[in-house]
Amino acid sequence: MNSAEQPLLKLENITKRFKDLTAVNGVNLEVAAGEKLVIIGPSGSGKSTLLRSINLLEVIDEGTIRFEGCEAGYVTRRGKRQPDRPEAISALRAEIGMVFQHFHLFPHMTVLGNVMEGPLTVQRKSCDQARLIAIDMLSKVGLSDKRDVFPATLSGGQKQRVAIARALAMRPKMMLFDEPTSALDPELVGEVFDTIHTLADEGMTMIIVTHHMGFARELADRVIFMEGGNFLAQGTPEELFSKVQDNERIRSFLNRLL
Amino acid sequence: MKYVVGRVFVVLLFLLLLAGSCFGAVDYDQLFRQSSDLMAQGDLEGALGLLRQVPAPAPGEESGAFVSSRMQAARIYASQDATDKAIAACQEVLRLFPENSEARNFVAALKDRLKPGWHTVLADTVRFLPALGKGAVMTVLLVLCTMMVSPVGGMLIALGRISTLRTVAWFCWFFIWFFRGTPLLLQLFFIYYGLPSLGVTLSPMTAAVIGLGLNYSAYLGEIIRGAIQSIDHGQMEAAKAIGMSYGQAMRRIIIPQTYKRLMPPVGNEFIALIKDTALVSTIAMVELMRAADQLFNTYFNITALALAAVIYLVLTTIFTFIFEKIEYRAGIYEQR
Repeated sequence: MNSAEQPLLKLENITKRFKDLTAVNGVNLEVAAGEKLVIIGPSGSGKSTLLRSINLLEVIDEGTIRFEGCEAGYVTRRGKRQPDRPEAISALRAEIGMVFQHFHLFPHMTVLGNVMEGPLTVQRKSCDQARLIAIDMLSKVGLSDKRDVFPATLSGGQKQRVAIARALAMRPKMMLFDEPTSALDPELVGEVFDTIHTLADEGMTMIIVTHHMGFARELADRVIFMEGGNFLAQGTPEELFSKVQDNERIRSFLNRLL
Repeated sequence: MKYVVGRVFVVLLFLLLLAGSCFGAVDYDQLFRQSSDLMAQGDLEGALGLLRQVPAPAPGEESGAFVSSRMQAARIYASQDATDKAIAACQEVLRLFPENSEARNFVAALKDRLKPGWHTVLADTVRFLPALGKGAVMTVLLVLCTMMVSPVGGMLIALGRISTLRTVAWFCWFFIWFFRGTPLLLQLFFIYYGLPSLGVTLSPMTAAVIGLGLNYSAYLGEIIRGAIQSIDHGQMEAAKAIGMSYGQAMRRIIIPQTYKRLMPPVGNEFIALIKDTALVSTIAMVELMRAADQLFNTYFNITALALAAVIYLVLTTIFTFIFEKIEYRAGIYEQR
């Protein structure tokens, strides 16, 4: 199989249950390198859980995750499927950047320290190298002047851009955005979208969970509508948003948002 | 034969004299009892009169009753604020027995009474400070040693408690259960007096540091666990998301954020520790409490205890300020 055809990420039959609730119900998904995938859907539909499962922050109950063709995250020992060694899990996470709704910046480190942390601690780069990478990433998200302040002094939009820089500093092959703008004031959403847009233009593979349809329409190569742990519909933005007439559920969801 | 009879006569005479002196002592006992009764009834003059009846002993004669009577008289005078008469009574004793320490100490104390109050306190302070200072140095040493040992122990216990390894978590739970659930005094006794029977003999200082260290590790363990678990779960996820291992995330991200939250309760613990070191005085270690206690028992002087209280307050005050400073520093990143 040649690398152009091989999907960067392939999910087969992903199922995640929380007690009685099946959050993700046997989902299959292929993401090609460079693809921009947007997942929409009502809250509680399993979007975030799916995203977190890719990054192994959730332990899935069934299914396989293949990253660059290799099965990742789980091994079968004595007939039982269980999480892989911690080092293997960390290695996969290091290749997949993740941005959270609530930023989760490290409050005790400066902005520069936050961005340096991955290269420094995980990749064991020298302090000088890590600093150079961090400075580069901060200028990419337009926050060079905030280098030496603590996260507490930043606005929400700035925090999220630092969080993006922090993920990018690991040079990930793919980025996951979990509702990156949902915790922001409306006037701050634009700066974060612009940053993600720049990243998309550079060819970064990304999966974005969002409630902003305008953004989905503008950025996505493919949009997936998810509900009740299943993919209800998927296609290009044009296809999905024109299907509005066909599917009652999607139509009512979109009408509420738009 | 005549010689033997003479020997027997001498022995008999000696026995007779011995019996006589015993009878005499019995008389005095009765007299003391009567004077005590009179004192209890409030008739101090009567009591003094009886005590005066005890004659000064001839040289070589038994002296206990005489000394006791005069000292008792001196105490009665002293209680009536008749300091001069009290001193006179003591000096009656001293004239015959210049080395009698009870009378000398009492005269010294009575003479102090005649001086103005602040003068006495000052003199006592000067007299007691060297011994109390030495005790305080031991207390501080003990506190510092425990402060170095217990946070390390506490951190290990805390990490063990939240470990996914069942055995480790169970062991740490048990450790806390035991050391928090039994009195510190008992633990100290066990380590110092109990372990030697198992073949382990420790110096008082070592026993004290081990006892306090274990006890405070248990308490700090729970405090540190609470602080770790109070850090937003998102921090751990964010750390993991950039590829950190659990250990790296703990060391670099989670634990540094607990410092500010830890300072108030840990400061509390360490101030309690300063005072808990007083318990160590029971295992033969001369620290501040023990030093003050010894002075008090020697001089019957409450100034020794008051000074110890002041020294404890000075120590706790210094620690309070240091901890406030550290807390401010540890949380500086939260300021906007």
